[in-house]
Amino acid sequence: MSDAVTARSGGNKTFSTLFGLALRLLWRDWRGGEIRLLFIALVMAVTSVTGIALFTDRLEKALLLESANMLAADRVLGSSRQPPEEILAEAESLGLRTARTLSFTSMAFSETGNMLVSAKAVSDTYPLRGEVIIADQPFIRGYPIRSGPPAGEVWLESRALPALGIDVGDSVFVGEAELTVSRIIIAEPDRQGGMMDSAGPRLMLSMNDVVQTNVVQLGSRVSYRYLFAGEELETLDSFSEWIGEEYDGEYRIRDVRDESEEISEALNRAESFLLLGSLFAVLLAGVAIALTAKRYSERHYDYVAILKTFGCTSNEIGVIYLAIQLVLVFISIVVGCILGWLVHHVILRLLQAVITVELPPAGFEPFVIGSLTAVICLLSFALPPLLALRATPPLRVLRKDLDQQKLGANVPYVFGILGTVFLVYWYSQNLVLTTVLVTAVAAIALFLSAVSYLLLRSSGSVGMKAGSAWKLAMTAARRRRKQNVLQVMVFSVTIMSLLILTLLRTDLIDDWQGQLPENTPNHFMMNITESQIDGIESFFAENGVDSNAFYPLISARVISVNGEIPEPEEELDADEERSSITEGAQSAEEDSLYDRARSELDAATENNEEAGAEAEEQEEGQVRGRLGRRQVTWADDLPPDNLITDGAWWGEVIDAGYVSIEDEYAGWLDIEIGDRVEFEINQQTIFAEVSSFRSVRWDNMQPNFFIIFSPGTINHLGATFLSTALMERDQKILLNDLVRLFPTMVVIEIDALIEQVQNIIAQVTSAIELISVLVLVCGALVLLACVNATLDERFHENAILRTLGAGKRLILSSLLIEFASIGALAGIIATVGAEASLYYLQEEVFEQEFNMHYWVWIAGPLIGTVLIAGLGMNSTREVVSTSPLNVLRRVV
Amino acid sequence: MIRIEDLCKSVDTSEGLLTILKSISLNIDAGEAVAIVGASGSGKSTLLGLMAGLDTATSGDVVLDGQSLNAMDEEQRAILRGKLVGFVFQSFQLLPSLTALENVMLPIELKGDAQAKEKAKRLLLRVGLEERGHHYPNQLSGGEQQRVAIARAFATEARILFADEPTGNLDTATGAKIVELLFDLNREFSTTLVLVTHDELLAQKCDRIVRLVAGEAVSDEKTSARDEEVASV
Repeated sequence: MSDAVTARSGGNKTFSTLFGLALRLLWRDWRGGEIRLLFIALVMAVTSVTGIALFTDRLEKALLLESANMLAADRVLGSSRQPPEEILAEAESLGLRTARTLSFTSMAFSETGNMLVSAKAVSDTYPLRGEVIIADQPFIRGYPIRSGPPAGEVWLESRALPALGIDVGDSVFVGEAELTVSRIIIAEPDRQGGMMDSAGPRLMLSMNDVVQTNVVQLGSRVSYRYLFAGEELETLDSFSEWIGEEYDGEYRIRDVRDESEEISEALNRAESFLLLGSLFAVLLAGVAIALTAKRYSERHYDYVAILKTFGCTSNEIGVIYLAIQLVLVFISIVVGCILGWLVHHVILRLLQAVITVELPPAGFEPFVIGSLTAVICLLSFALPPLLALRATPPLRVLRKDLDQQKLGANVPYVFGILGTVFLVYWYSQNLVLTTVLVTAVAAIALFLSAVSYLLLRSSGSVGMKAGSAWKLAMTAARRRRKQNVLQVMVFSVTIMSLLILTLLRTDLIDDWQGQLPENTPNHFMMNITESQIDGIESFFAENGVDSNAFYPLISARVISVNGEIPEPEEELDADEERSSITEGAQSAEEDSLYDRARSELDAATENNEEAGAEAEEQEEGQVRGRLGRRQVTWADDLPPDNLITDGAWWGEVIDAGYVSIEDEYAGWLDIEIGDRVEFEINQQTIFAEVSSFRSVRWDNMQPNFFIIFSPGTINHLGATFLSTALMERDQKILLNDLVRLFPTMVVIEIDALIEQVQNIIAQVTSAIELISVLVLVCGALVLLACVNATLDERFHENAILRTLGAGKRLILSSLLIEFASIGALAGIIATVGAEASLYYLQEEVFEQEFNMHYWVWIAGPLIGTVLIAGLGMNSTREVVSTSPLNVLRRVV
Repeated sequence: MIRIEDLCKSVDTSEGLLTILKSISLNIDAGEAVAIVGASGSGKSTLLGLMAGLDTATSGDVVLDGQSLNAMDEEQRAILRGKLVGFVFQSFQLLPSLTALENVMLPIELKGDAQAKEKAKRLLLRVGLEERGHHYPNQLSGGEQQRVAIARAFATEARILFADEPTGNLDTATGAKIVELLFDLNREFSTTLVLVTHDELLAQKCDRIVRLVAGEAVSDEKTSARDEEVASV
């Protein structure tokens, strides 16, 4: 009776007995190689996620720091009118540090000369981030300082001194104030190339001297900036929100992403890529874990059956296997975190040359993310098949044919899918991306299984057909149809992930390199008259600067298309996307780098006409106003980075009266090839027939145009000219002579910005390369795990064939054919899936143009064939080199 | 020690209900050695599985050491197995990732016995494999593997030993040695032995032979071995 009572009370073994047993089993399994692949898969998951998270965490912090330096603050509020002082008071009450700057163009006078300068007044606390580089003499190396000039003094850029004929210590007049030139300013953190910063050499003065200069009057073109810095991101964010609410959108706080579209786009794309990369890494590691755990649990059916005959209850089995997994995951986390830390260090070491800022130490979060990944992977991928072991019938010791089929073979997949969805969402924190990615993978998986099933479907053949290697392989493939469909799916998804990342990486890097090639011109010259062109060209020739094409520039507006006024309903998308110097929104409030340059450019080229035109537009109603004025040009040849998408560029004999229009703009105005468009240019009406549509690369930081006329159409309407030049740092002194020789010309310097963009692109390129390698390693692991998953059966079958007298050659050829066909099929499906996914990713997420990658259609299947055949043969070649008896004994 | 009451087992197949065991009743005393013989498919392994509590009957009951298996769930049966039962299988059922010594240690470890290693070593010595303790199953011959399996079966000092075709995978000479070892240990440990076999010679070494034909117990007779043993006593 007492026995019966004990029996009913559940397991009779203490936890420490079970835990001790679990540890011993784990050790014995490890030694026997049973659990190594599962362990490696877990470690890979932790390593890749921790490594990537550590790297992105630190890079993000570094980029934030760098970007803060670019702004001389964490956040900036800019306006053409003075923002209320209470904004500063509110910021200070929140514990933020504040500073003020005021930029304007002004003439500086000395006793011997004068020149237009870009003046910037700064408050005592400027800069909040980064450093000003100053020197004691012009044209020498400077040293950093964390302040602006004191009251009564100015700092001048080197090239201004010879132009004004003064030395350090002399006086200059700015407006009515006489100020002493005390230092040379070499660089400042937040000088980026807008018109206010680029009209002439920099003159920095103290905010306290501004009143005395008397140059800032009501209606003056000035740019006010309030700078804010704080240690807590939350405080900065809540302060930004407060401004949004308090001023109802009138003032907006900006960070570096708002300041530069190019940098923001590069960062966004890189972040999306890293995210995608780590998602693939986790996904692949998860699949590897699922496969290895499934195989591990299959190999443990007998183990459990034996344990049950020895008196282990299901609960005790559960405890033993749970303990094994917990110990395994704990060790994996420790090893994975250490490896992840090393991986991120290797990444950082490789990036040493391009990461210019000192990286802040990593937080603890990446380790938590890595560890949780392992736990979630284990819970969703590994634990279900292992816990299903609990239900192994003890009768299996007598009857081998009893398997786990009844135990709900799909349960592990359900858990796996749920776990994957959770992980994808957790990483991306983006419901849309999660939904899209999960739906895409699910659709591909379904499609793949249907296709693979159909392709491998048996045509009713019976037996092994062991006569020829080909037949043997095909019947083997059909017999293992279920496993093979799963294998093809796993191979396809893995190869697809690798193809997507590789192609995306190549396209992104090509795109960036194409965007800003090494010799990208870094100075824009505008407001050039036709008569000055020869002079400018010869000036550059004399001084060893390559001059580029001169584009006529004239302001135009579309009036009608085929006699009807166009009525576009929405704003033009391209206005938000493109960032060409020559085109831009017309908002007076804009403060971003290019917007500033654009509006200044408009002012410089159109003078008072613009104001008149705007007033006229308002009278004509909103739709008409939205049509806006555009800077247009004429050209003999199609400009670089432009592609004809419809119609034809003018031929060798060029007729007047034609126009080529940017394709999105044409679509927005509902213009067709052959339409007759009416333009208003300098208060004259011009008609032109649309002969072609063009796509334009707006982000190449070069002159770009919505509308290009055929030569002879508008030449008589009085255009100014625009050109670009590449000037190295040591050639910049030439600007003095250039503006002295051609005083009406406006020079916009974007060299600092291009350098910054190129620097950031170089950083993210290296990061992307490394992430790709990490994902490749994860992919290889999955392939290996997947080949191994069906190894036992193949071993067993081929050992039997060998005992029956099948030759080495027959077995090897049959294995080769079977693996190669599976690989080829997976390669084809992966290629289709990769191209389809890339279409979506490039169009929707990375905002790139999608082009088919024709070489992949050959390379994909080829890679699949070679890779899977190679891996398969490598794993199974033992079958012919070991005695069949040993194989049969080992695989029982 | 073992009482079987009107035991039936049938399973659903695609061709309808298949009856494997038909109303079997049997009593086995403590220390007795009983052979269950029959042709392939006669239901002898099924009967062994039911007697050992590895499977559940369709009707009837098995009472082991006074405890009805019918009244227990799988968890309770497992505990009872742990206390009472040892097994020897035709295919040895050694765990391939464990050495011979570890295979023997496993059931002792499950009991939480700190002396597992010493006890297992003594048993390996007893079956003549003290030198092979660190070898893995695939490094041992069939006879050696079965000797390890026998050592493991006696490791927990089980009171009932179920043996399913213990010589089925062995050649005659090795089989004979294994049988000798099994019966020696059985006597040494005073175990109740239930042995499933189709080998008449092996069956004759037991005290009783129960013959199964198509799931029915057609005879239950004492053997000469029993008489000899009684005589020798």
